[in-house]
Amino acid sequence: MEEYQPHHDEIGFNADEAHNIVKECIDAILGGVDYNQNNVNQWTAAIVEQSLTHLVKLGKTYKYIVTCAVMQKSGSGLHTASSCFWDTTSDGTCTIRWENQTMNCIVNVFAIAIIL
Amino acid sequence: MSEVTKDKTSQLLKKRGSISSVSSPDIKMKEIYGRTKDSVSTVSYADEPSHREDAPRPAVQMENTYQLGPSKCFPVNVVNHILKDVLTNYLQEEKYEPELCRQMTKTIAEVVKARVKDLMIPRYKLVVIIYIGPLENQSLHIGSRCLWDEASDTFSSFVFRNTSLFALATVYAVYLE
Repeated sequence: MEEYQPHHDEIGFNADEAHNIVKECIDAILGGVDYNQNNVNQWTAAIVEQSLTHLVKLGKTYKYIVTCAVMQKSGSGLHTASSCFWDTTSDGTCTIRWENQTMNCIVNVFAIAIIL
Repeated sequence: MSEVTKDKTSQLLKKRGSISSVSSPDIKMKEIYGRTKDSVSTVSYADEPSHREDAPRPAVQMENTYQLGPSKCFPVNVVNHILKDVLTNYLQEEKYEPELCRQMTKTIAEVVKARVKDLMIPRYKLVVIIYIGPLENQSLHIGSRCLWDEASDTFSSFVFRNTSLFALATVYAVYLE
């Protein structure tokens, strides 16, 4: 069994890196499409799965929680809030907001460190 | 020599200045939790600019506990009940209003987190997410995927509806390995 050495040079969650990764995933899936009731299920599933896969490829010792909300633009509002009980030095979160002409998309990434 | 010390003291004073300029809930929290040396509780909101004073603190090295799994399971049903309780109490009579709901989401998130913390389940980290929106003819899909240990980590969620708004509360519980 190989020993996995945690990264000592980077402390804490790198939110910018996660932001870029997830934004690319959303652009690939929702870029240029209009809101469609039949496809939304597939889209949310694809966004969370792809984001998770790309985050895992970073190879860091984190557990991830990725949530995605896709909403049709109809003039109504949506409020979201999150509260986390964790170690602020090692764990972190990142929220990505994306929109086009017909819909809004909010993706939250929570990363919780595993201590080896 | 004296110039160097002057610079250092001015830097220290500047750092303290940035902490005191943070909004009052943070200072209150630090006073209450100031007794425990290692833990500092801070409250920060995404719509207010963040002060990243926590980042320079070095990560704490922990000793092995030789524990393979959680000694006490996370009680999903109890937490479901808590969510139902809190959402119903806070939102039963309310009508959707943007300003009210903005405050409501933050308050409810804090309240749910406090109540789940009170259950004192050891070694579990919590993430609480609240969505509140109006009930109009719009379509909304919310999905989530988690990469964790199935045996020890879990989540709990509840949807509340009244005549003018809906609210979704989700609690993710992650075991600290």
